Amino acid sequence: MSDKRLLKEGPGAATAETEVPVIEVDSHGHTLEPDYKRLPIGPDHILYPVVVGLALFPILMGDAGHHLADDMPEDETHPFFPDHFWPYPIIAVVMLVAVGLLAAFVQKNLQLETSADPRTVTIPRPDWYFLFLFQLLKLGPELFMALVIPPVVVGALLLFPFIDAIAGPRFAKRLHWKTWPVPGRNIYTGTIFVIGLAIVALLTLWALAGPQFCVPWFINSPVCGA
Amino acid sequence: MAIPHPREIQTAVVDWLDERYPFTKAVDEALYQRVPNFANAFYYCFGGMVFILVVFQLLTGILLALYYVPDATGNPAPAYTSVNFIQNNVYLGWLIRGVHFWGANLLIIMVLLHMARVYWTGSYRAPRELNWIVGVTMLLLILAFSLTGYLLPWDTKAYFATQVTIKIAGLAPPQQLGTFIKELLQGGPAVGPPTLQRFFTIHVFLLPAVIVLLMYVHFRFIRAHGISEPM
Repeated sequence: MSDKRLLKEGPGAATAETEVPVIEVDSHGHTLEPDYKRLPIGPDHILYPVVVGLALFPILMGDAGHHLADDMPEDETHPFFPDHFWPYPIIAVVMLVAVGLLAAFVQKNLQLETSADPRTVTIPRPDWYFLFLFQLLKLGPELFMALVIPPVVVGALLLFPFIDAIAGPRFAKRLHWKTWPVPGRNIYTGTIFVIGLAIVALLTLWALAGPQFCVPWFINSPVCGA
Repeated sequence: MAIPHPREIQTAVVDWLDERYPFTKAVDEALYQRVPNFANAFYYCFGGMVFILVVFQLLTGILLALYYVPDATGNPAPAYTSVNFIQNNVYLGWLIRGVHFWGANLLIIMVLLHMARVYWTGSYRAPRELNWIVGVTMLLLILAFSLTGYLLPWDTKAYFATQVTIKIAGLAPPQQLGTFIKELLQGGPAVGPPTLQRFFTIHVFLLPAVIVLLMYVHFRFIRAHGISEPM
């Protein structure tokens, strides 16, 4: 260390100059809201801690990459705060009120039955979101319906981006399409989505129709609701 | 010595932070970054709604855990009586339990709507494939939350529904594997107190830890890639 960097304070005292390294955040050339358009809440404003609290979440989520909005004209974009942010607190309050009202007025589903007793006989019915799966089990051999179809569907769902990226363009080429559109504009993947939803909805409705509602089926005929 | 004004203290703190880290710059970047106008469509809010609901579930779950007793010995079991106590005796217990219950139902609806939006607009496409996988994994975790949470009240419905779930999981071939999975979940030859202990542990410790971690990964990916353009 050179002599210049030594500070002498008092007789015989020699301490090193404290230099705090400043870490620069790479901004990726983001387009930010110009100063004159921002809320007048600077570091000396009483509400600045609130602003910091709001910013903490994106900060914790890491540095933002170069986004689409950075290359878009100003009239096609808007600032995250407050323009994009403001609906979320309102949505949170609305949802809290909605579940609170459901809790207050739809008590039926919340009421407990008797304490569990293995000696009693009860035919269980799962919650609504598992009803389609419950009904699916009745449509074929249990092993196949429980341990083959659901894992295959989940596996296909997990790998769908890769299936779509690999098989899609090949299929499009065969159809003489220039591109392979997204499901919202693609007759094939869009139809798969709608059919999938329809199957789930039909199985759920079938289960909800109750044990008296029976339909002839190829295997295990007839199959009744839950 | 004059007492400093709170504003001066605040400014001094911010300056101190700024000397060590570009604090105000990071705050400005986080808040005043621009967002494409198409992201204002209502269906782009579904992901945020899922996040809000997960936060509700975590908060109400913590409150419920203050009174819940994960013990299934005896009849009625302490687990059952504790849920009954929450529902009927604890101040606003019915509301907290109701918000947890209906929040779970709403959460599944919102996750499915969010996934449908991502699928329909092609937001799973490169470079966002990994985020899609993280999202689908979170859907499975939320279903696992529902399955494990269903047993916790320890009433007749919960008991027999869990018995069916475990029976299905135990069908996995070969038979040894199926039996292993069944006994691992049950903690014994039949659904009983060890099963409740295990489901409680999974529901309250394991799944929340994993879902919070995956949510962090999910948000980091979103932050890195930005909001996807409808294609």
